[in-house]
Amino acid sequence: MSRKKPAPREISSTKSHRHEPGARRCIDILRQLSAYIDDELPEDICAELRRHVGACPNCEVFIASLRDTVTLCRQHHPPPLSTYERARLRQGILRAWKPETHS
Amino acid sequence: MARPASRPPQFDDAFDKLYRDHIDLVYRYAHRLCGEAESAKDLVQETFLNAYRGLKHFRGDARVSTWLYTIASRACLRMRRKRKGAPERELSLEEFVPTSEGEFRLQIPIEGQTPEQLLENKELREALEQAINKLPKKYRMALVLRDMEGLSAGEAGAVMGLSERAVKSRLHRARLFVRRELSARGMAEDAHHSQEDWRPKETGA
Repeated sequence: MSRKKPAPREISSTKSHRHEPGARRCIDILRQLSAYIDDELPEDICAELRRHVGACPNCEVFIASLRDTVTLCRQHHPPPLSTYERARLRQGILRAWKPETHS
Repeated sequence: MARPASRPPQFDDAFDKLYRDHIDLVYRYAHRLCGEAESAKDLVQETFLNAYRGLKHFRGDARVSTWLYTIASRACLRMRRKRKGAPERELSLEEFVPTSEGEFRLQIPIEGQTPEQLLENKELREALEQAINKLPKKYRMALVLRDMEGLSAGEAGAVMGLSERAVKSRLHRARLFVRRELSARGMAEDAHHSQEDWRPKETGA
């Protein structure tokens, strides 16, 4: 907000910021968060973001909840097919095969 | 099951190998995309029929699994057009910027529990599934391929026909969407937190 011309992908090192709707500063930080938790940011930008997060409880909570969301997605598994369903599905596929329409 | 004369003699062996080796992967992916079992089975059927149809053209440049993901993804996009699903829209970053202190404090009550323990909670599991199902399909696909199927951004891009950068952009928005959905539902029954802590302020609660 106070910066006139932010460089691309750069995060300001000011210690605190306001999280106003649509504020440029918030968007800059928000944009980087998946790359941050996936450990894909260059070290200098990552360190800067880490410094900011350490000084901003709101951002710390936000990032933790985003990280938790990813963890939950990674651990979520749909119920597997039973042996019976697997065989039934195979029969259904073989029945549906029509060479005249699948040439 | 006897082989009808209309099927080529080599069909059953080739199909059975493809099916046996990949049915669990294809069904899991289909279930994650469709959000429920019956549509997933339809998608599995369509995927294997299309795969067998294209088997003679498969040159092995990609892994079989990546090739099947691609076939399933295309079939899913076609199927979804016929069904009423989540409305297709673009997700902008601006909509995920919290607008009040309360929204920052919203978080998933994960403390002290492993993800496996958390997902045994039926309510949280259903909330996660509903949040993913509410995603517009192009964002859901990126989330499923990257965070659920475990593909790299490059592999997901090959499946979706997108650049790595585009995959990462969609994935990021999808994650923010699901986070907001989980938080906004106020997984508030957690004993560590009061309901007041979890409710979004704009609901007036």
